[in-house]
Amino acid sequence: MRISLQDIILGSLKTILLLIFVEVFSSAVLPALGILDFKPAFNVLIILYLAFKFEAPALPFLIFLFQYVHSVFSIEGWATGTLAGILVSLSVKYVKDMLNFSTAISTIIVVQIFQIAWFIIVAIILSLKLGDFSYFFGIFIKYLPESVFISLVSHLFFKLLDRIWKLEGQSSGVAY
Amino acid sequence: MKNLNLDASRWTLVNNLIVGLISLYGIASHNYQVTEISVFQKLMIEILAPLQRGTLSLKESVAYTVDHYVTIVNTSKKNEELKKEVNALQGEIFSLKEVRRENERLKQLLEFGKAIARKKVLAQIVSWDSSNEFKVLRINKGESHGLKLMSPVITTTGLVGYIYRLGANYSDILTILDQNNRVDSLVVRTRTHGIVEGESGFTCHMKYVNRTEKLEIDDVVITAGLGEIYPKGIKVGTITHIDKENFGITQKVEVRPSVDFHKLEEVVVLVDDGRQKKLMSEELPKVEETAKNEEEQ
Repeated sequence: MRISLQDIILGSLKTILLLIFVEVFSSAVLPALGILDFKPAFNVLIILYLAFKFEAPALPFLIFLFQYVHSVFSIEGWATGTLAGILVSLSVKYVKDMLNFSTAISTIIVVQIFQIAWFIIVAIILSLKLGDFSYFFGIFIKYLPESVFISLVSHLFFKLLDRIWKLEGQSSGVAY
Repeated sequence: MKNLNLDASRWTLVNNLIVGLISLYGIASHNYQVTEISVFQKLMIEILAPLQRGTLSLKESVAYTVDHYVTIVNTSKKNEELKKEVNALQGEIFSLKEVRRENERLKQLLEFGKAIARKKVLAQIVSWDSSNEFKVLRINKGESHGLKLMSPVITTTGLVGYIYRLGANYSDILTILDQNNRVDSLVVRTRTHGIVEGESGFTCHMKYVNRTEKLEIDDVVITAGLGEIYPKGIKVGTITHIDKENFGITQKVEVRPSVDFHKLEEVVVLVDDGRQKKLMSEELPKVEETAKNEEEQ
């Protein structure tokens, strides 16, 4: 399916609004409820969605854009997630024909697998930056409960993003 | 169509390379100890932080409504007005008590840092970092309130962290729970030096402690004053676990922060206004004495 530039801009703006909403939820609503150790990474889910369904040269720039907005809410910064997003989107490209998002179960499994790949990349980068690999498993284990939650909501979230990007019923969208 | 697809995949590859290289540069230049933010990010924080702050106000309003109104829905009409009046009065008392409690907390906070010769700025916690691996707090004070990068942040119970990212009206604190924050510390009883670092969860560990040092559980750990971020003598926490392995020259020491981060509402930012250099030599012994007395108690 061909996506026009106008659709990309509109889709990006709507996705940014959605991202701001979920980031406020993670950074302010959950802590206000006393939940300080559980902050689902919705930015990862948005980027995974684009990697799975959005086939366009603009994809790396969109990953950068959404990670930049995420950096306002986290000192993680934009760079680590952008690099992880690009590497994951490249790997998705090679297995795209095998991926299936028709059922909730298949979406959950696929999202969980690629989230693990994402978190391994991020944990390696952070450990390299800290100069200490003793944190690697700590960082990785901490991600797991949130990643399971993210996978469980991924089917619903993808449906919402399908509407935003007008990719309902399409396996992917191509922009020129 | 085939050519078009080829072009598209070529463009994707080129774009991936460009953004990938920019990201690598970004990762290499990103500093997890302190950071300057771009004008755009500053603007975004100024716009979005009130949203995060509003969430807290909303939570208080909802809790108030649930506590004071929802519970009287099933009462008879006759008693409704009276109960409402009682509830309103109770609500007023509750609010006044809350104001009194807040005043007491703020007073304690201001009294607490008297021995430390720095300008003190009171601030409220607005939100936490949206990523779980970073233990960062956002407060409602920034550059316009006189805050500076790397200013230490404390409460009545001890050390919270330092200002990592500075906006005009909001700033981010890198807490001592974060693995990127390293506090040069010493154990009050034995004068043992070590570096306190954040760990996953809500505990820290003290690194580079010689295994011959005779530390004990419940020993108090304070800031050593080295490194030019934290003044000397601020309570960091207490030792909760010591692990002496059969090999190596150091021991593994777990420190529980004295600040309860789950209940943190207000903090004091200690801003360097030039006074402390002059007064530090006079006040330091007093600060250390206070920490020692606390430990003895």
